[in-house]
Amino acid sequence: MTGRAIIERTLLGAFAVFMLAVPWLIPSLVNSFWVSLIAEILIWSLFAASVNLLYGYIGLLSFGQALYFGFGMYGVAIGIDQLGLGFWPAFGLGVVASTAMAFVTGIFAVRLTWHYFAIITVVFSLIFYFLAVTQKWLTGGDDGINFSLPPTFSFGGTQISFTSGTFQYFFILATVALCLWLMQCVTRSPLGKAFLAVRDNDVRASLIGLNIYGLRLTAFVMAGFLAGVAGALFAFFGRYASASYMFYNVSGEAVVWAIVGGAGTLFGPLVGTALFIVIRELVSTHWEHHSLIVGVMAILVVILAPRGIVGLWSSLLSRFIDRGDARAVSAAGKLRTDP
Amino acid sequence: MMHTLLLLGLNGLIWGLIIALIALGLSVIFGLLDVINIAHGDFFMVGTVLAWFTLEATGSFWLGFITAPLIGFLLGALIQRVVIQPIGNVAGLSIVATFGLSLILQESVRISFGPTPRRILPPIQTTIPLFGIEYEVYRLFAAAVAVVALLGFFVFLNHTKLGTWMRAVRHDRDTAIAMGIPAQRIYILTFALGFALAAFGGAVAAPITTVDFRGGVDILPFCFMAVIIGGLGNLAGTAAAAVLLAFLEGVIQSFADPTVARIASLVLMSAVLLLRPQGLFKGLVR
Repeated sequence: MTGRAIIERTLLGAFAVFMLAVPWLIPSLVNSFWVSLIAEILIWSLFAASVNLLYGYIGLLSFGQALYFGFGMYGVAIGIDQLGLGFWPAFGLGVVASTAMAFVTGIFAVRLTWHYFAIITVVFSLIFYFLAVTQKWLTGGDDGINFSLPPTFSFGGTQISFTSGTFQYFFILATVALCLWLMQCVTRSPLGKAFLAVRDNDVRASLIGLNIYGLRLTAFVMAGFLAGVAGALFAFFGRYASASYMFYNVSGEAVVWAIVGGAGTLFGPLVGTALFIVIRELVSTHWEHHSLIVGVMAILVVILAPRGIVGLWSSLLSRFIDRGDARAVSAAGKLRTDP
Repeated sequence: MMHTLLLLGLNGLIWGLIIALIALGLSVIFGLLDVINIAHGDFFMVGTVLAWFTLEATGSFWLGFITAPLIGFLLGALIQRVVIQPIGNVAGLSIVATFGLSLILQESVRISFGPTPRRILPPIQTTIPLFGIEYEVYRLFAAAVAVVALLGFFVFLNHTKLGTWMRAVRHDRDTAIAMGIPAQRIYILTFALGFALAAFGGAVAAPITTVDFRGGVDILPFCFMAVIIGGLGNLAGTAAAAVLLAFLEGVIQSFADPTVARIASLVLMSAVLLLRPQGLFKGLVR
């Protein structure tokens, strides 16, 4: 195993242990508010991952992912509040609604690329944002829908629900981890390689027989699914859904998180999201103008580390570790060829 | 009813002419630098705020017509040199950078100007009877100023050396550099002009709209619609589309909710993007 792989495995293991220990570790270190903050970071990083799947893996910059986030959110809220559904059917409704919406809008959107794609995605999301604002009977408009959460599991008399902070945290952690794992499976599969081929050069990809339109639509629907799950989780998390989460600045923040963290990497969106939300929480209690810092940081990262924080990290790793490995390998080679 | 329709149509027309100024800045920046400028709405907002500060400091509103574009020009040059130039024209990165810029501008204004929206009284207090109501003369005057500024910009672009250089760099950067055109400085000039146009639009619009640190948020999608429907890089088309869109929204508002008007123009924009991505007017102009 190379030095790089050892470092990365160790970090990943430590990270996994930390995430599993959060409900017990964090309240003793800081306070229990930070447990729910970490849960929130997980949800938003799943949302940023949906931007990342499109931009980092197939080269489409979507500025309208908030639309699918909002559909996931409203699917849950309307399902519970107006249709009287239970936890799981409402979850399903949210995810299915956003995925279906991604399919329908994707049919049109992925015909366009580059700037045109970015603009049509934001236009689609704005159309539904304004619709959600006007259709108050269904969506509650800007005031939104508040609802009380049905139990997640009930075995006879015992009910397990989000009222338990620990359960809520682990439910969110498990769902986000599952989604990221699925995304990792896709990006490592032949389908994922095809995505990368389209990202790097779509003309060449089409010349080797790849169906560019089909691949882009597939990625778009998958990204809509991820955003929908994130939206549904956020509705459960806040017991709330509002049109304001469908506005374009929500999509914009996800783009910033994904790119600052490192587009085209699995953990980039998580790192970017965590960085910005933690800064917001740390600074906003002392200084109300924290978005000044967010703006400066977004610009600095883009100028100094165009491949994002994770990209910066891996290039630092290759500078210090891989060089050492290469020296070791070549030394070993020399030893063997010596008579 | 007829009067309301005409009135809202006229309001739309005037608003469209001001938007055209701002959208022109957006289109120039996009066409030359390939930068999707998320902060452009805030450039407009900065213009309104500069007009307000000028009025407060000097007591003269008209001075704002000079200070707003001037300071906007300098800020634009600075931003291009410090933020945009190091990035190059990677679409994703420039979106993130201008998003950050937008946050910085909004927050700086919130610190210096304050979070509460304020109004500037129209500097021309007279009204004239029009379509059954007393219409503010300033609005008509603002429309005239916008038209003059638009025409002035087109004259600059087509009949001066700098304007020709801008068009040359846009057309073929490498050849332009080979001909000795300082492309790097043209980029700075373009971004600065884009900011100046938006800030000037802000100063003109300040007495019509409110001065608010979030004033750019609503303007931005509208400007993008004008640029897209007019056709990317088609400056005359952008101006025409801005007027057309604002007029249409004004007319629709006379019988429906303003949000419905906005949805209608967004749907129109999707149709244009999908069916005529080169813009509505390609082939008509020229």
